[in-house]
Amino acid sequence: MVLDYHTEWHGLHDEQEAKMPEFRYSNIEREMEVYGYDSFVKSHCRMCHGGCGVIVYVKGGKVAKIAGDPDCPIAHGTLCAKGLASAQIAYHKDRLTYPVKRMGPKASGKWERISWDEALDTIAKRILTYKEKHGPESIVFGYGTGRENESVIYRIANLLGSPNVLTAGHFCYGPRISTSIITCGTNPIVDYENFPKCIILWGNNLTLSNPDEYKGEPFSVALDKGAKLIVVDPRLTRPAARANVWLQLRPSTDAALALGMLNVIIHEELYDKEFVAKYTHGWESFVKRVNEYPLDRVEEITWVPKEKIREAARLFATTKPAAIQWGVAIEQQTSCADNDRLLMSLMGITGNIDVPGGQVLNRQPNVVNVGQFGAHGLLSKDQFAKRLGGDRFRLASRFAILQPKCVWDAILEEKPYPVKMLFLISTNPLVTAANAREVYRALEKVEFMAVADFFLTPTAELADIVFPAATWLEMDYVGDYWKRHGYVLPRRKVIQVGECRSDHEMLNDLGRRIGQGQYWWNNYEEALDYILHPMNITWKDFKKMNYLRGEVKYHKYKEGGFSTPTRKFELYSTVLEKMGYDPLPQHREPSESPASAPELYKAYPYILITGARMPGFFHTENRQVGRLRELHRDPIVEIHPEAAAKEDIKEGDWVIIESHRGKIRQRARLVLGRDPRVVAAQHGWWFPEKKDPGHGWDESNINILTDSALEGCDPAMGASNIRTLLCKIYPERIVSYE
Amino acid sequence: MNKYTLTVEEFACWGCKTCEVACQQEFNPVDETKGIKYLSIWPDGPKVMNGKLDFIWRVNVCKHCNEPPCVPACPEDAIRKREDGIVILDAEKCTGCQLCIDQCPYDAIHFDDVKKTAAKCNLCYHRVDQGLYPACADNICLAHCIYFGDPVEIEQQILEKRKIRGG
Repeated sequence: MVLDYHTEWHGLHDEQEAKMPEFRYSNIEREMEVYGYDSFVKSHCRMCHGGCGVIVYVKGGKVAKIAGDPDCPIAHGTLCAKGLASAQIAYHKDRLTYPVKRMGPKASGKWERISWDEALDTIAKRILTYKEKHGPESIVFGYGTGRENESVIYRIANLLGSPNVLTAGHFCYGPRISTSIITCGTNPIVDYENFPKCIILWGNNLTLSNPDEYKGEPFSVALDKGAKLIVVDPRLTRPAARANVWLQLRPSTDAALALGMLNVIIHEELYDKEFVAKYTHGWESFVKRVNEYPLDRVEEITWVPKEKIREAARLFATTKPAAIQWGVAIEQQTSCADNDRLLMSLMGITGNIDVPGGQVLNRQPNVVNVGQFGAHGLLSKDQFAKRLGGDRFRLASRFAILQPKCVWDAILEEKPYPVKMLFLISTNPLVTAANAREVYRALEKVEFMAVADFFLTPTAELADIVFPAATWLEMDYVGDYWKRHGYVLPRRKVIQVGECRSDHEMLNDLGRRIGQGQYWWNNYEEALDYILHPMNITWKDFKKMNYLRGEVKYHKYKEGGFSTPTRKFELYSTVLEKMGYDPLPQHREPSESPASAPELYKAYPYILITGARMPGFFHTENRQVGRLRELHRDPIVEIHPEAAAKEDIKEGDWVIIESHRGKIRQRARLVLGRDPRVVAAQHGWWFPEKKDPGHGWDESNINILTDSALEGCDPAMGASNIRTLLCKIYPERIVSYE
Repeated sequence: MNKYTLTVEEFACWGCKTCEVACQQEFNPVDETKGIKYLSIWPDGPKVMNGKLDFIWRVNVCKHCNEPPCVPACPEDAIRKREDGIVILDAEKCTGCQLCIDQCPYDAIHFDDVKKTAAKCNLCYHRVDQGLYPACADNICLAHCIYFGDPVEIEQQILEKRKIRGG
């Protein structure tokens, strides 16, 4: 175990700094002197998926300035718009700063302040009553992309005996974890510290988003060190414009594209023969499957010219070390699990697994791991068997992941059993989950719902009780606890706002009120001590450190093999085979595509893609933060000028986007760099400035259009295919003439 | 010759707009939701440029010109160029006539609707004079594409990077 107290990273500006001795980046002492701050706290941002070390300057008991912490090994002192605007959430005038209970009917907007004790006691009583009458499985806890509260939410649910935790895990990060564990033991992370010489950015733009683990900064540095770049994206992003090869695929055909590249690599013998012979399982059947995807067929499926596929495959396979930076876009598809597995196959057979500058299977620091903290081992077999949708989405279920529609169905149809209570923490499914109207019906019907969040979101407006959640500025925590880059970093409390409390403290208190006292702590600092105890340190010790890092070691598989049933890198998955799935990866058409639904395509002649990240926003969050909203005032749909001309749409027009489930409005931006048959709409939109309790949740919300049908989901993970569907698009002014 | 320059290498910019928010943080109270900022990033494209489909982010910020046309344009002498090259617009002296805005070839001077004065990047001279980097150039940029310092050295550094990045 290595205890690092300082980073050995040297940024690109070192030379510049040496020549200008009077200036120093992030000069804390000087900032303190010049601005007269009272103090500063080094902490760890959590405005998105976390990762970035920050310096928070304090004056008069309030946050005065946020800056990057150059000692942070993840982002090296660089930040994003969200992180810099954190205090604007903390001090926002609309922020919920005490618990409230609803006084009128759902969505009436009538709230009354109550005490924490009353709120927690009410919920505790509900939980115990439902547990008694309908079984613990009738109580569903949920979170969205999470405020690093995952393990504490699983802990309370598992201890209660509820196998049902509603998350985005079916189509966000959960698939990477699940498929990588069954393929090679853990999630292979790009080793930016050792500068990959070729990077594929696959369905991801980490310069504007957080793909977990590392951020855009080390990626940028790798390019500045001369790395070649391949970008797989239906849209011409800036990275795509900079790429050596841009593969502009038809949306949701990633699996076919990967199979095409594998085809080239195998047939031109560009793979790592030693790795394949010694360390993979199922090579021959894998090659057989790949042979079913010759380049002609792949070009037809993906719309990518075969010369381009060949060029990318050769560049990737012959440049060492090479890495694939993947993200969530490939997971919100019908081929979710196979997309992940195919990209891992590319990493594996080219010999880039667990090598410097390739993809590393990192070791975590020796702290209590998230699975153990989440108390998964304490859920009984009988209760595990009741997990909603568990029989159908067996890979997801193995990793404690639910398909959300199974919860909505259990509320609406009471099948296979009724769900009576939801406790939704840091999630706004009315805007983020597929088929928003179905979600609305479920939230409207559920007998009791509690929410914890920063604001009264459209989802919270349907709750019975809402708790005021703490931002990262208001809590102590072991940051990046669940990540796979091998680091944990201290998040140190800076301020207290109103009666806001962290989700962790809230659930610690609730757990003690529902008879789980022996598994919880007197205060949450004791829980942090518990997480850290294998290192023989306490939270107070950790607070003084920059970070802990697991042991750095490459080629670990050469000693004990991979942590899979065959001890090999499983190109052919014995786990999936046992679960009754195809052990080999394949391309699956999305349920709505020109190929799978030609009749529908006649009426809805555009492929709608969605979910591209907007700097400043985190899914549905931050639209009330002035500085960030200024960056995106209105929801935007990008449309090719040819298509716009055909539909009589002009730049800046409000347009109607319609699927056969519903319609919404967004504003048109006319741009090249996407196929004229593809339109790209933004996600996550609601309008906090609208003061009625709906806050415009169904006006521009893309999930009014998306499909939740289980038939369209990934068969193993249950990933909803919300990234690709069919739509029509026309100017709003035409509607008013009707 | 300017002693200091603020250079954004547009080629390397990803359009994350962190610098815009850093600028706002510097010039507005932390809990002020809106506020003035002196630089902005905008998408140029995707469109056809030099016969090729391309997409690049552009920065809009005062270039602290060697011969700034905004200086003689101001009837109040509210804009001056310091010896180190920093062009400073003194909002106290500004009457809001907007003649400087018309003269700026880069559209880098804005009108502050609240104060009713012209507003532009003064290269954070209040920080620079104290030995601090301008707010946007203080290592916040994840692309490391915002440079502050000696113009010749910066040009050299960018050329070096281009060489390593290759064609």
